[in-house]
Amino acid sequence: MKTLIIIPACNEAKNIAGVIADLRRFYPEGDYLVVNDCSTDETAATVRQLGVKCLSLPVNLGIGGCVQAGYRYAQEQHYEYAVQFDGDGQHKAQYIRDLLRPLEDGEADMAVGSRFLADGGFQSTAMRRLGIKFLSRLIHVLCGIRVSDVTSGMRAVNRKMIQFFSAHYAQDYPEPESTLAAARRGARIVEIPVQMRERQYGESSIKPGHAAYYIAKVTLALLMSNAEKEEGEI
Amino acid sequence: MNRALQLFLLLAITLYFFALVHFSRRKRVEPKYMLLWIISGVMMIALTLFPALLNRVSRFLGIYDPTNALFAIVLFCVIIILMALTAILSHHNADIIRLVQENALLEQRIRELENKAETDEAMKSAEKGERNAV
Repeated sequence: MKTLIIIPACNEAKNIAGVIADLRRFYPEGDYLVVNDCSTDETAATVRQLGVKCLSLPVNLGIGGCVQAGYRYAQEQHYEYAVQFDGDGQHKAQYIRDLLRPLEDGEADMAVGSRFLADGGFQSTAMRRLGIKFLSRLIHVLCGIRVSDVTSGMRAVNRKMIQFFSAHYAQDYPEPESTLAAARRGARIVEIPVQMRERQYGESSIKPGHAAYYIAKVTLALLMSNAEKEEGEI
Repeated sequence: MNRALQLFLLLAITLYFFALVHFSRRKRVEPKYMLLWIISGVMMIALTLFPALLNRVSRFLGIYDPTNALFAIVLFCVIIILMALTAILSHHNADIIRLVQENALLEQRIRELENKAETDEAMKSAEKGERNAV
């Protein structure tokens, strides 16, 4: 079974080698694809030196367009499974097999790594947890599924979802929105407890002062995507 | 509406249409977007030439001064056009995202082909070298 690990990275030259080493240690059987979101540092060169494939976006698209490029690649190359794995070192490769197991058993279409189901690890700040809880409730109200860590960027999906995401994927802050889009089309979503690390270098794509803006925008995006016509099938 | 304002508006609208013709001749604006502007221009002409129309609208809406009704209508037109522009912009944004992704995928494919061609060539020349040695 072919599995593609999609690694979105924007200016992660300092983190990316560690991420690849982690993957090679805990999940050597997968293919890796770094999607370089128009980094201004040495990310692409570092990745290629390590012998890993690198998609280089000529224009910065943000995390949504970046991850979707990875899904497009997975779709083109007929991968059976795809795993989203952040290029900043937050995610731990040792959990990838746990994420893939429900998909391989045919029990789920998408597995989300949740740091709130696992004890320990980096649990994010109290404010962020509050925001995540709010979004999680909102998604539950809108489509009836329960996902505790809706902003988690660590996810595994099967062939059907690769097809769907390569054609329809939310931009800007895509995790909660794409989860909702998948759930509304009847995708079976499970959560797997994972531990996460705090990022080592650089900054998160969501800056501290932007939390309120983030919540407002994601809420609006969720409501809008709930109201819009359903395009595409899973 | 007094004569002075009416004349001024007519002059302004004439200029407006000149600008439209100018843009369309230079192909700066696509016909489908031009339509929006032409429709609102025609509306403005109608209201300026037939103030009675404006009076009726303002009476119906309870606006005391017909000129204010004119401004309200113009504002309405502008808002419609702006919303249409936002929609067009969003559509273009989606197109750009798609193109950027496609570009990256193609670049990666070329890179792989180049690598393959290089290794093929290296193998060929190595074979040749062996044969020559034999």
